[in-house]
Amino acid sequence: MAEQFPQPAQQQLYSLNLGPQHPSTHGVLRVLLTLDGEYILEADPIIGYGHRGHEKMGENRTYLQFMPNASRMDYLSGLLYNHGFCLAVEKLAGIEPPERAKYIRVICAELNRISSHLLWFGTFLMDLGAFTPFLYCFDDRENILDILDRVSGSRLTYSYCRFGGVARDVDDVFIEQTRAFIKRLRSRWPDYHNLVTKNVIFIHRVRDVGIIDKDLARRFGVTGPNLRAAGVAFDMRKVEPYEVYDRFDFEIPTGSKGDALDRYRVRLEEMEQSCRIIEQALDQMPDGPYRQERVRLKVKPPRGEVYFAFESARGQTAYYLVSDGSPYPYRVHVRVPSFGNLHCLTEVLKETLVADAIAILGSIDIVVPEIDR
Amino acid sequence: MAAKDDALRRIQELLGPGALTADPDFRAGVSYTVACPKESLLAVMEIFNACGFYLESLTGLDFQDTLEFVYHMNAYEPRARMAVRVLCPHDGEMPSVSGVFASALWQEREAWEFYGVRFSGHPDLRRLLLPDDADFYPLRKDFGTVHAYRKREEVYG
Amino acid sequence: MMEAAATSGAYWLRLIVGLVIVLIFSQLNALFLVWLERKVAGHIQVRLGPMEVGPHGLLQTIVDGIKLVGKELITPARADRKLFVIAPVLVFMPVLVAFLVLPFGPELIIRDMNVGLLLIFAFSTFSVLAILVGGWASNNKYALLGAIRSVAQAVAYEIPLLLSVMSVVLMVNSFRFSELVMAQQRVWFVFLQPVAALIYFICATAETNRAPFDIPEAESELVAGFHTEYSGMRFGLFFLAEYTNMFIVCAVATSLFFGGWHGPFGFSFKIPGVVWFLAKTYVLLFVLMWFRWTFPRVRFDQLMNFSWKVLIPLSMLNLVITALVLKLV
Repeated sequence: MAEQFPQPAQQQLYSLNLGPQHPSTHGVLRVLLTLDGEYILEADPIIGYGHRGHEKMGENRTYLQFMPNASRMDYLSGLLYNHGFCLAVEKLAGIEPPERAKYIRVICAELNRISSHLLWFGTFLMDLGAFTPFLYCFDDRENILDILDRVSGSRLTYSYCRFGGVARDVDDVFIEQTRAFIKRLRSRWPDYHNLVTKNVIFIHRVRDVGIIDKDLARRFGVTGPNLRAAGVAFDMRKVEPYEVYDRFDFEIPTGSKGDALDRYRVRLEEMEQSCRIIEQALDQMPDGPYRQERVRLKVKPPRGEVYFAFESARGQTAYYLVSDGSPYPYRVHVRVPSFGNLHCLTEVLKETLVADAIAILGSIDIVVPEIDR
Repeated sequence: MAAKDDALRRIQELLGPGALTADPDFRAGVSYTVACPKESLLAVMEIFNACGFYLESLTGLDFQDTLEFVYHMNAYEPRARMAVRVLCPHDGEMPSVSGVFASALWQEREAWEFYGVRFSGHPDLRRLLLPDDADFYPLRKDFGTVHAYRKREEVYG
Repeated sequence: MMEAAATSGAYWLRLIVGLVIVLIFSQLNALFLVWLERKVAGHIQVRLGPMEVGPHGLLQTIVDGIKLVGKELITPARADRKLFVIAPVLVFMPVLVAFLVLPFGPELIIRDMNVGLLLIFAFSTFSVLAILVGGWASNNKYALLGAIRSVAQAVAYEIPLLLSVMSVVLMVNSFRFSELVMAQQRVWFVFLQPVAALIYFICATAETNRAPFDIPEAESELVAGFHTEYSGMRFGLFFLAEYTNMFIVCAVATSLFFGGWHGPFGFSFKIPGVVWFLAKTYVLLFVLMWFRWTFPRVRFDQLMNFSWKVLIPLSMLNLVITALVLKLV
């Protein structure tokens, strides 16, 4: 084993392992750093500690049986992955869900996005040493989890969407609770901005740190808020609208420099835009069936393939499904955003300080289990 | 539009019009499919790089008669996605595009460890997700429980 | 003849009683502060903190101490055994020395040495040495990095600390604590030397490795810094020493800037001086805890820059101005 560790060329260099057990790596991640004092010369993320073989499992399960797998890859945006998988299979099999179901799915997806960003916000600040926002965010997040728990039955990894709609209808209590939550979250923005965004110590920790510019992002396939912070307004909800996203009026926040502060601002602004989408969806949601009745449990899509890309909390996720006409997929491949987002760190972390490494790792918002699948 | 049309034109020049299959309805999420022979892969990738595309994903498919690698390329425009499909025999080698797209460094490592196909020219081909001493290729259809092992024409006709 | 009188029975009795009280008080204080920190943290974070063990969790620290004592003392395989064991003891000894000279009340100074203030600062450097010894002896990269950072930070912030304290000493012309406090009978020095007070408090936060200057024990960066490898009561000793250190720097701040045992403007409202002293010290401790749960951590190079480029020039300027004003007035 020892020969696999990079041997420092000069006497002053040494190798340091960040992880795999480390309070601030978001999942089981190991980054092998070659250090010269406090400066990082090379960073090599080592992943695979959480590889569970989801893609192999996909070939041995029916489409509906793969639903729980979908939400366990990125457990923080489980409903978004669920939703995406349903949309992919619906596209492949030619199933059209009713209008109400589309709105319900969009509302739940955006709620999930907010909860994922809230958790990122708390953990990012915890990495920087401010422990309190973590608990404030979890307080807000509990509201979302309670709302979604009431409707779907689970708090973190949902299997709420079905091919052709959703598993259960939502009632007026859901609508009430969601509106109350949006109101409450909006009243929190001044707190977050006063305590964190305007805090001099915080700004000095994240300004001009970990710059990911457009070209770097393109070469590594970086997507999501990291790409938008670099200045590219690329959001699947606007570029290739799916479900009913083209009926809402919302903006894509972008940054300019691509440093950690821009990424932070973009995600905070995205939460506000998600609130706008939810409000509009609640207003526009029609009555009607919540599920298409004629869809069989064992969906048998025709032969062919589909590549469906959508915007999850971390960036552009895509399901690539190849069907051979049987109820079991021939191939399920999931393109996860954290893969490229983590990969770009091999370049971004060069010539930075160890203390910045933690800030950068936190600011790109990765969830390692989705990289490992 | 500009990037996509530019890339299309240049690929047509390189490979000839027969290599491109259009899907105007974007039903499968891909606007054009490029059937690319192994030797031209690097040239095609360089065209995409020059036109501002990024390598979105690299997928391997295992059929009885051949392996297939599908490169999904996308640009920051609506409906710009193109799929580059490369056939490769089970015991063959693929050229590495990591010199063109840095994201291929990890994507090809993953493809190698799951399908057993070496990518020649890859600077650092070692295991990514599997343990270092794994001597099996999990996504091949002769490993573990397999529901169906088909020929390519059974799926794609 | 003079020495014989100086070492009379009353003197020894006073010394021994004082030492016993100091030991008991410092331990109780450390236990109380741990509980207070957890409660303050809890309430700032919209939760309650310990509530189960004892009324409002008051016995939590004692129970935690018992648990710590019962843990296995693990020594890493290739650690320097002697140094590793000695470090936690070394970090605790100097803080106990400081209690000997603190002015708890007008008659409650155990040894009112004429270099009392200097004694505290001289001995506080020992704890830095102990941290370095602990980090080095652990044979652990993380611990070593934490120890190195801690030493650099301590050295950098010691200078403005001493310079700001010197401004006060210049005004009173003495290092003796009783004189320093007596000079504040009418006006507290925080009003006469606000800059020095602010600089002192910032440096005190850095000297005790408290947030936002807690890089040496940054949990999310270097696991647990210099005490990564310490388990059981050895860790407990580092932990308690930190809280006792906090108490000492706040007590010194109270004595130097906030009037010590005096009430406001010299009116004590019949409340004994020791109560005033402890109340003010605990208010300052609360502020220290407030800092920890509000601010993110300062990056190490920014921390060093702040000390060398901002605090030292400022405190030197303050000292020069104080000297000028005293000369002219």
